[in-house]
Amino acid sequence: MAVPCSIPIKNEQDIVLARQVGRNLAKELGYGNIEQSRVATAISELARNIFLYAGEGSIVLEHIQKEGRVGLRITANDQGPGITDLRKAMEHGYSTSGGLGAGLPGVKRMMDEFAIDSMPGKGTEVVVTKWRS
Amino acid sequence: MNLTIRMESQSEQSVLYLQGELDAFTAPKLSEQLTPLVQQPSINQVIVDMSNVSYMDSTGIGTIVGALKTAKRSNCDLRIVNVTPRIERLFRITGLSEIIPVEPMEGEEA
Amino acid sequence: MHRRELQEQYEKLLSNFLAGDREAQLYMAQQLSKSLVTQDIAPEDIVDFHIQALEKLVQMPEPVRESFQLLLEMMMEYGNTYRQHNVLRDKQKQLESEIDLAVVMQQTMLPQVLPEFEGVEFGLISVPAKKMSGDYYNILQENDVTFSVAIADIVGKGIPAALCMSMIKYGMDAQYGLTPATRLHHLNIVVEQNIDPSMFVTMLLGNYDTARHSFRYAVAGHEPGFFYRACEQRFYDLEGRGLVLGVLRDAQYPEYELNLEVGDMIVLMTDGVSERKVGMHYLNRQELTNLIQGELAHTAQEIAENLYRRLLLMTNYELPDDHTMIVIRRTK
Repeated sequence: MAVPCSIPIKNEQDIVLARQVGRNLAKELGYGNIEQSRVATAISELARNIFLYAGEGSIVLEHIQKEGRVGLRITANDQGPGITDLRKAMEHGYSTSGGLGAGLPGVKRMMDEFAIDSMPGKGTEVVVTKWRS
Repeated sequence: MNLTIRMESQSEQSVLYLQGELDAFTAPKLSEQLTPLVQQPSINQVIVDMSNVSYMDSTGIGTIVGALKTAKRSNCDLRIVNVTPRIERLFRITGLSEIIPVEPMEGEEA
Repeated sequence: MHRRELQEQYEKLLSNFLAGDREAQLYMAQQLSKSLVTQDIAPEDIVDFHIQALEKLVQMPEPVRESFQLLLEMMMEYGNTYRQHNVLRDKQKQLESEIDLAVVMQQTMLPQVLPEFEGVEFGLISVPAKKMSGDYYNILQENDVTFSVAIADIVGKGIPAALCMSMIKYGMDAQYGLTPATRLHHLNIVVEQNIDPSMFVTMLLGNYDTARHSFRYAVAGHEPGFFYRACEQRFYDLEGRGLVLGVLRDAQYPEYELNLEVGDMIVLMTDGVSERKVGMHYLNRQELTNLIQGELAHTAQEIAENLYRRLLLMTNYELPDDHTMIVIRRTK
């Protein structure tokens, strides 16, 4: 699957759908059991942040290849309120208090690459990659 | 530890009826209502009725002091009425009753 | 250790375990589990080891195999949240040790030793309600015969009050040799300019002349202390009027004077002493002076300490506000 697949996130059913699509894609690409679950969990967290704090947005899933490695890239996009203090949002512990960016440290830990860009009032984009081991 | 605030406004005057305890926990709630109120150009007198305030500590007084400073800058007349003897004593000891009108409860001598 | 090796190790454990070598394998599992934490292996990884080992060793019914998916997902989020919880706990510890440092710092603002004068004894106790105190006090030798006394209560408790205390302390350090009224006047200007609009400070400042045993003082909205007349065996309120510090820039402070006979005593305190709730009722001043009266046979220091203990007992060991008391008694 070379064409990125975009899933609009508006409600909790969409979150479940995104998890499912992500898990299936990981399976197709030959990811192990636990990696499939990590992909699904990361998608879940990112989609949930969109749903809770931006209202709507999208999850884009794509199969990437680099230097012979197989990867799965997840891009979460929204035009929500954005995160004012990125440093704080990425701090472990901060997210358990709820609020914007909840669960991001966990996502970062489960994935191999993690990038976030957020503008207060404009929205947030999170791009993460998981390589097949 | 609870404070409820009821406001009655008529033309240029607002009355805040407080009920409960005014302490470190509830003082911010009063401040949130009182401070913008004394700054409103259309209001030139704000009366805080404390007849149902069972307890007030120095943080509560601090809130009143803060509002008083703001009120003075906005030319708003802030006064405290119907305070219990205990609270009246607090205003007296701190010297604040010299700079802010404080009226004891009707029929009670402090 | 690599993941694959760990996987193999677990597989061996499980296979030996299933072959009947129960307790020994369980013991080895315990040791392995400990080492996994240090290798940053998450709980869900262990579940995964288990699934993969099972796949090789036994024929699993489909529902059992499927059920592991659920367990994996449970452990994954549990692990994430648990980790974050631990991070929070570490942070809390870090904050606490930072506050402990601040407490030590605050202690340096308060006098470590009291001056000694012929014919006068001091009692002093100051206990914060939380870790940091909003009560300030000082007894300082001014010259051979005179000492100054200060007691102050900064509105609010904890860290904001403690930060404000340094301003009071440094403001006062520059005031050597001035009269109490002048000092309060100057201090008020400093506080008024530097304090949050809804904060203020109450204070009593006095100079005690041990040659004449006269006490000149001024008050800025502070809880009145007591003056004990030994010959009448009676407590009087320490009179004094003046606005709290930090409210009006041009506030003026009148001065008062007391002359002490042998046995006379001045008791200064913050409202943490006087505003005590015993059950449903606030202790009144009469009750407070009765308590002090009962301690008169003791030294000034014992009076302060015993009163603290008695009040604590009466209020069920609760200390809602910082408690500071200074006792000054003329002994000869």
